[in-house]
Amino acid sequence: MSDFKETLKAQIIEQLNLEDLQPSDIQDDAPLFGEDGLGLDSIDALEFIVLLDSNYNIKIADPNQGRDIFYSVNTLADYISKNKQ
Amino acid sequence: MRILAHSYIQPNGIWLNQTCVKSTVGEENWLKAIYQNSGVEYPKFYKMDDLSKMSFLSSELLRKFIPAEIDQENELALIFANHSTSQLTDTKFHDSYAVQGNPSPSLFVYTLPNILTGELCIRNKWYGENCFYISEQFDAALFIDQIQFAFNHGNSCCLCGWVEAKTDGSHECFLFLVLLSEEKLDINTLNNLYKTYKNE
Amino acid sequence: MLNGKNNKNGWIVSNLFLSYQTLISPLGTTIPEHVAAFKARQTAIAIHPNAGFNQSTLPVAKITAITNNRYDAILKMAIEALKKQTDLATLQSDETLFIVSSTKGNMDAFDTDAFQSTRTILSEELAIAHAPLIISNACISGVLAINTAADYLKTDRFKDVFIIGIDAVSDFVLFGFQSLYALSDGPCKPFDKERTGTSLGEACGIVRLSVEPTKNAVEYLGGTSSNDANHISGPSRTGEGLYRAVNRAIKLSGIQHKDIDFISAHGTGTVFNDEMESIAFGRLEMEQVPVNSMKGYFGHTLGAAGVIETIMTIVSMQENTLFESLGYSEPGTSQAIQLITSTKEAPIHIALKTASGFGGGNAALILKKQL
Repeated sequence: MSDFKETLKAQIIEQLNLEDLQPSDIQDDAPLFGEDGLGLDSIDALEFIVLLDSNYNIKIADPNQGRDIFYSVNTLADYISKNKQ
Repeated sequence: MRILAHSYIQPNGIWLNQTCVKSTVGEENWLKAIYQNSGVEYPKFYKMDDLSKMSFLSSELLRKFIPAEIDQENELALIFANHSTSQLTDTKFHDSYAVQGNPSPSLFVYTLPNILTGELCIRNKWYGENCFYISEQFDAALFIDQIQFAFNHGNSCCLCGWVEAKTDGSHECFLFLVLLSEEKLDINTLNNLYKTYKNE
Repeated sequence: MLNGKNNKNGWIVSNLFLSYQTLISPLGTTIPEHVAAFKARQTAIAIHPNAGFNQSTLPVAKITAITNNRYDAILKMAIEALKKQTDLATLQSDETLFIVSSTKGNMDAFDTDAFQSTRTILSEELAIAHAPLIISNACISGVLAINTAADYLKTDRFKDVFIIGIDAVSDFVLFGFQSLYALSDGPCKPFDKERTGTSLGEACGIVRLSVEPTKNAVEYLGGTSSNDANHISGPSRTGEGLYRAVNRAIKLSGIQHKDIDFISAHGTGTVFNDEMESIAFGRLEMEQVPVNSMKGYFGHTLGAAGVIETIMTIVSMQENTLFESLGYSEPGTSQAIQLITSTKEAPIHIALKTASGFGGGNAALILKKQL
């Protein structure tokens, strides 16, 4: 699981153009959105939907669902492992 | 109207008032090199498209020349133009759905040239007038008209730019800061300034 | 030549006159056809199977007679109509300028030069005297273009400016709006409680701004723009830029807030845009002014929107008709505003047109009926 989370962090950095970050800069349980986290915004949330579809073939129809799924690397990893096709 | 300062960016580096601030000859990621050299901390930089990145880097140099008495929030107009609109990002967004199979929202939001003026306004809390024009080449007369119009509307300062990011890699960004004053700015002076950079 | 006076900048202050010329949309190819369609509560938005990404079904306002090269085809239709409407001597005069407002130009040529066909068509079909000025500033382009036209007329170098607002439907833009989850499943419902997004459309409208009164003209009083300085794709939650743009436009026009009889809002039908506009109108103390969005008729036509909605605003003023805000039925914004729920007669002396768009831009202009 921890290897998977590292891969996921690298994918997040690439998909969201967070070139200034290293995977180690992202804490597993820290919020990804908002001022306290990585400062991601609504467009990043939509880009997460693309990431899930492109890399894991997981489709999210309602972007409002994303709020809980993309809360942190932990919640995202958990959702992917449960829904991966 | 008086030009207070000007800057130029192309893949070989960035210049301020005709002095090279950072050479990027041979740098693969030259925009990142200029950013890292600038000492500016603005993580959103990495999310921008190339038009916004270049305009941002130039404006960070030029904004220091805005006189303290100027009401930047209300009286600074942005006048920008180019020939290729958002061609480079358009191509990338097109690839995201036509080649990679998923239209990318973060690319799509940059498929308009005026997004760069939005980025500058966000960075600097500028609430003034903005407009983006498309012309076949750098058009000094267009800029001088628009600067005069902006002053007629009550603005006291204009940040103007000619910014290109084309698919053939021919990036350039010429920004100049103009202050309301009695002096006249003629077309030849502005054209020559641009050409001096362009031919350097 | 002008009945105005020079101010301290050598800038001529005088009355300007705005008249509609032509309007091409799925609703028709003449102004009377559009008036009839509005009165009949007709929408241009239709469900198109396979229009969206991965052949998804989307509501789109498309001119179905056009099958390819949409932008050029629409532009040519509008130019043909313009030639029938206005004498060639005026169109080709050295004292006439053309301004084109478009967000994307010809998307069949996005990777080479999206605006080359615009220049070619205007030169070949009309032989205009000056190269057209092209404004590409997202969804506020049309209102900006009319405001810019006023600036040029005040220089005394031009007597007439023709403003062409145009955008065509393309996969590129449809897929982009889909990726932002900004499209409604059915025709858009601006300001309505049940709104879920906008619907895209295509159109070309042409207006003429002149130093001399022309047929069907209203007076152009003034206009301006303001950036939200907040987010590149999301509207300000406080309506900051729109609030500032309208306030400044009112000041430049020499009128007061209470003088405005009608607002043609931007009203895209997205949750956040319409909410933002209502907040701005509330802050402006215009919550009692009759307001509509015309996106329910035309869809969101991007670079054409500001121009075609201004055309229908001029019609409203001349016919003393407040057009229903099509698609609206129940209040759906935190600030209540006065949406027009059925088309009715009312005197309109002064009207406000606003637009807001990507890049944080907001623009406003104010028109006055000639007495």
